[in-house]
Amino acid sequence: MSLVKIDNLWKIYPLLAGDVVALGGVSLEIKAGDYVSIMGQSGSGKSTMLNLLGCLDKPSRGQYWLGDADVATLTDEQLSVVRNERIGFVFQSFNLIPWLTIEENVEVPLFYQGIAPAARRAKSMEMLSLVGLGDRVGHKPNELSGGQRQRAAIARALVNDPLIILADEPTGNLDSATTLEILDLFDELNQNGCTIIMVTHEADVAERTRRVIVLRDGELESDRTQAPQGGKR
Amino acid sequence: MSLSLFKFRDMVILGLHGVVVHKVRSVLTILGILFGVWSVIAMLAINAGLSVQSQKALRRLGSTNIIINSIKPETDAANSGAYNGALVYGLTLRDVERLGTNTPGVVESAILHKTQKTACAGEHIRAVGVLGIEPNYLAVANGEVSRGRFISDLDILLCRNVCVIPQSFANRMFPADDALGKDLHLLDSDGKPFHIVGIMETLPAALESQLGESGDAVLVPLSTSRAEFGSMTIRYSQGSRSVEQVDISQCILRMENESAVIRGAGVVRNLLQRDHPQGDYALKVPVEEIKLMKADMRRWNVMFFLIASISLLVGGIGIMNIMLASVTERTREIGVRRALGAKKQDIVTQFLVEAVTLTTLGGLLGIGIGTFVPWILQQILAIETLITPMTLIVPFVMAVVVGLLSGFYPALRAAKLDPIDALRHE
Ligand SMILES: Nc1ncnc2c1ncn2[C@@H]1O[C@H](COP(=O)(O)OP(=O)(O)O)[C@@H](O)[C@H]1O
Ligand SMILES: [Mg+2]
Repeated sequence: MSLVKIDNLWKIYPLLAGDVVALGGVSLEIKAGDYVSIMGQSGSGKSTMLNLLGCLDKPSRGQYWLGDADVATLTDEQLSVVRNERIGFVFQSFNLIPWLTIEENVEVPLFYQGIAPAARRAKSMEMLSLVGLGDRVGHKPNELSGGQRQRAAIARALVNDPLIILADEPTGNLDSATTLEILDLFDELNQNGCTIIMVTHEADVAERTRRVIVLRDGELESDRTQAPQGGKR
Repeated sequence: MSLSLFKFRDMVILGLHGVVVHKVRSVLTILGILFGVWSVIAMLAINAGLSVQSQKALRRLGSTNIIINSIKPETDAANSGAYNGALVYGLTLRDVERLGTNTPGVVESAILHKTQKTACAGEHIRAVGVLGIEPNYLAVANGEVSRGRFISDLDILLCRNVCVIPQSFANRMFPADDALGKDLHLLDSDGKPFHIVGIMETLPAALESQLGESGDAVLVPLSTSRAEFGSMTIRYSQGSRSVEQVDISQCILRMENESAVIRGAGVVRNLLQRDHPQGDYALKVPVEEIKLMKADMRRWNVMFFLIASISLLVGGIGIMNIMLASVTERTREIGVRRALGAKKQDIVTQFLVEAVTLTTLGGLLGIGIGTFVPWILQQILAIETLITPMTLIVPFVMAVVVGLLSGFYPALRAAKLDPIDALRHE
């Protein structure tokens, strides 16, 4: 059974100037443990699709199953729980909370699971060590470099042991060396069984994934499986 | 259940953390509430103090009394030339009798007759009001003799030359000695001095309208006054001489109770209007005045309350402004939290805890300063103030409600955003 299944998914933004079809009937399935990149030109609907997959947004039409749950039937509270327990987000602009230390930032998903402070802290530290930030736990986000911030954000995405990691241009704001670092980290996570769906518009980033989905004007243009060009292998 | 309780505790800590992290915003909010609350408390305390002070003053006149003073009418309306060219006006003994019998609820009446004399003791000479009274005047007018005794029935019967004087007058006439037991000469009596048998620390409040600025007065038996001074008062002013004749200067009707006062006052008013169309009297009914004053106070209270509400409202708008600004500033945070699993309720709780903490802190500090300022006013300016639990609780509750509303609305608004909209917020 596939982890993600979408069927004829639409997202239409009704604007005064006319409706904008951001996603026009996309159907696909993604297996657990896969490493997928979503490509396409700017405005082709990549972010829209990722936001729908992440239950941050609701489709205008179509169906979406995440695991065994039909997402359309879930209440707002249940969606919060789904995001909290099953999904890890990595954003292009990091989206760390500026007045919290990175350790506190990583704790946030655990906080909403109702986990005790000591356990939260332990898990958060563990994740930060995993991404190589064990010595920077007390720093505020603005005291870190872009790559370090993105690694902290990845630690936060991992801290709840998600079924799936959704990353929207995670390397978009990073230089090439740091990009490689982050991609190595993703490779490692994927090898450990984590499902990753990553939006990117850079071909060499997409090269690293096992499956490449290309969108064009909100529709599926191509969907191919490839041998990933792992950096460390 | 234990999980949600545990989580609630965490939510509270999160809210408190928000207070500590956003220091400038927190301090501004607390200041806004603090100023609103303390100024309202101080206003209410001063207002309440004023009200108590003036009520006390009226109570001293006697809440069961109806006081009628004779006053000099407009000259042409006066019954002038009726007798020896003297100006005759005011109450007469007949009036008092009539009032006593026709007014329901009268327990007793006390009368006073005033003449203007010159007092001397040794080299000290002063103009005084000589007040002829009967023994019951003391009790009816709520007076008190601090040393010695008051005028007695026997004094009246024997027309004795005795007197009771207020302490301030005693000090003026006998600066070096104790006045009690000394003699006082009242000029144009037949020469026999008046023996001072009693000293009053303060004169009854009802006498205030009978006396001049100085408050110098000599209380003598009514019978003695009548026998020695008659009912004429001769005034010399700027070379001319005017003679006035007043039978009774003041009559106090003591009534059964306060409701009898209200009813009786109506009757007295009618009787006097009929018998004294020239208006040579002034009616003073402390209970009526207290009632009027209470109504007045209520109006003032409404005014104060409005001003207070406005100042709290302005503070509240300020707080709301800060909160809204911080929500805009923190919408991304809310988006991030929602993306990471926060429910709407979690966001609302977080912001509510912040709002409650800030308003309560501000409110409590406001109560602190709000009690301190009236105290200082009382110490330094001798303004009487009164702080009741209500004057503390009302502004506090108002501030907390305003704070909560202004904290709650933005919290609700922020929580209602779709996670993606909150995240996209620039
Ligand atoms: N909130 C929105 N309101 C209106 N139009 C939107 C909104 N979000 C995205 N769109 C439109 O939907 C289309 C797809 O956007 P997006 O998914 O962000 O593209 P991509 O991430 O591939 O660059 C674009 O044409 C964009 O203008
Ligand atoms: Mg995009």
